[in-house]
Amino acid sequence: MNTLVILFFLLLGAYFVAVLENWISKGRFQLSAPLYAAVAFLGRESFIPRKPDQIFYEVGPVLLLLSAVLAAAVIPLTPDLIITDLATGALFINAALVYVLVALLMAGWGPDGAYAMIGGWRFLGQLIAYAMLIVMPITAVAMRAESLLTTQIVTSQLSLWNIAYQPLGFALFFVASMALAFLPPFNMMIAKGELAGGVEAEYSGMRLGIFRLGRLVLIVTLAAATVIFYLGGWQGFYLFGFELPPWAWSTVKILIVTMAMLLIGRYMPRIRETHLLSWCWMIGIPLALLNIFVVGVLVLEFP
Amino acid sequence: MTAQAFFIGFFGLASVWFGIVVFRTYSMMRSAIALLFSQTALGAMFLSMQAEFLGVLQIMMMATEMSIMAIFMVMFMMDPGGLGEMDMTHQKRLSLIAGFVSFVGAVAVAVFVDWGPVATTFPDAAQQTVDLGLELLDRSMLIFETAGITILTAMIAATAVAIQPVKKETGKK
Amino acid sequence: MSPEISIELIIALTAGAALFGVGVYGALSQTNLVMIMMGVELILAGAMVNILAFWRYLHPDVAAGQMFVLIIMTVMAIEMAVGFAIAIARFRAKGSVEMEEAVDLKG
Repeated sequence: MNTLVILFFLLLGAYFVAVLENWISKGRFQLSAPLYAAVAFLGRESFIPRKPDQIFYEVGPVLLLLSAVLAAAVIPLTPDLIITDLATGALFINAALVYVLVALLMAGWGPDGAYAMIGGWRFLGQLIAYAMLIVMPITAVAMRAESLLTTQIVTSQLSLWNIAYQPLGFALFFVASMALAFLPPFNMMIAKGELAGGVEAEYSGMRLGIFRLGRLVLIVTLAAATVIFYLGGWQGFYLFGFELPPWAWSTVKILIVTMAMLLIGRYMPRIRETHLLSWCWMIGIPLALLNIFVVGVLVLEFP
Repeated sequence: MTAQAFFIGFFGLASVWFGIVVFRTYSMMRSAIALLFSQTALGAMFLSMQAEFLGVLQIMMMATEMSIMAIFMVMFMMDPGGLGEMDMTHQKRLSLIAGFVSFVGAVAVAVFVDWGPVATTFPDAAQQTVDLGLELLDRSMLIFETAGITILTAMIAATAVAIQPVKKETGKK
Repeated sequence: MSPEISIELIIALTAGAALFGVGVYGALSQTNLVMIMMGVELILAGAMVNILAFWRYLHPDVAAGQMFVLIIMTVMAIEMAVGFAIAIARFRAKGSVEMEEAVDLKG
């Protein structure tokens, strides 16, 4: 039952992200636009490149969708609404999301095209930049919760949300998760203006539809992860005298985070993965270590 | 035959199968990804042995490691796409015999040695994580710190070996 | 074979032995340095399975068993880093990492 609810939620979230993305990039708010786009994907002809690596070509988009859905399995929307409360939940999110890289490499190599392949390798460079910035802030979060259980992490923020407790970690995680979801300005590997679509260049029809859906679900999953790690998950406060139910709080927060992620990308130039690498390793990782140190001291003083 | 035995056998078989695929395909990218899935199946096998932390860690670490391996494969092989079906092996008979003998020897040891009584009680996943953390920071701290220092040394050594030497005469290259 | 031995342990050890055998075959038969490293990774994976199986079925109360697996993962990472560094240096100097050609020091 929980599984179905969460899957439905992910689908709904993906739909809203599509609407938002359309709104932000084209300036028109159309509730029905993604529906038409999806129907068009279904109806359009699927071109297959002349000499594809058949297995990789077919598996790539599906693996992207699968890894995003798997990562959502340990994310609680309310205290009870969670697919599986793993004892190593915070680590499991990482483990599932690393397969986004594998999916992009496979999708890039599969069609036997230069643009797609370069796009895939660019994402490998980006992974080496952002990977540590995903893991290290989560370490600091788990230090405060004294547990890797995601539900425990949410309840540890009862007195003060982590965004106020460790703002540095939040900033790093936010940027890194934008890089993970290859949102603009980190979308060198699928940008239309850079590589004629990069990894997406050789995909069309259904397969491109699955690829896009996987990316939308990935954005929702990452926004949900940000919410449970830093924004207190389902916890809320009294608003104008009455209280919202927990699932509503989760939904509202996830929407706000998604909106912020999409809006920031709108006003930034694209960042090359070489620049991202040097910034992440020379500035980001020292800051993340500082964050772990500061949180360690804070946990000892004011838990 | 319990469910656990079935899953261990299944994932072990998958892992071995992907391990064989690594050396049977001509495409280097397929080879690297097959090794990745071999290691992932191993992670799933750890999960079915109820070592949750190590299973998840294995699945996470190997994805990054093998993807990096993939780019090196494509960089350094003469025929990364495998379209030419180049034979990249030597001393095949010797290797087959050595592999088979080591397999049979290890299986014989596994079957014929008396391993002693099997443990019945077992800590749950959360308790395991706590135990492992305490072990790392208590009794085995020195060993783990040594591992950390070794990684740091390896990183510095690798960078030093791999860095491009600058020619003194022209100052650029 | 004693009667109280568990079938799971034997299956896991067999899988470890098979991984080890495949790894030995790969490390000996391949001519390319990167492929040889893949064989070594498989050998280490086989060792990892064995240690985890021993920990799980014989001594689940000793956390040092799990730590041993962690150390092997570290060894795998170190092996990759150093191996690729050597591969890069060799490729830059000689233009290939074929081990058949690496006979410069042969007497």
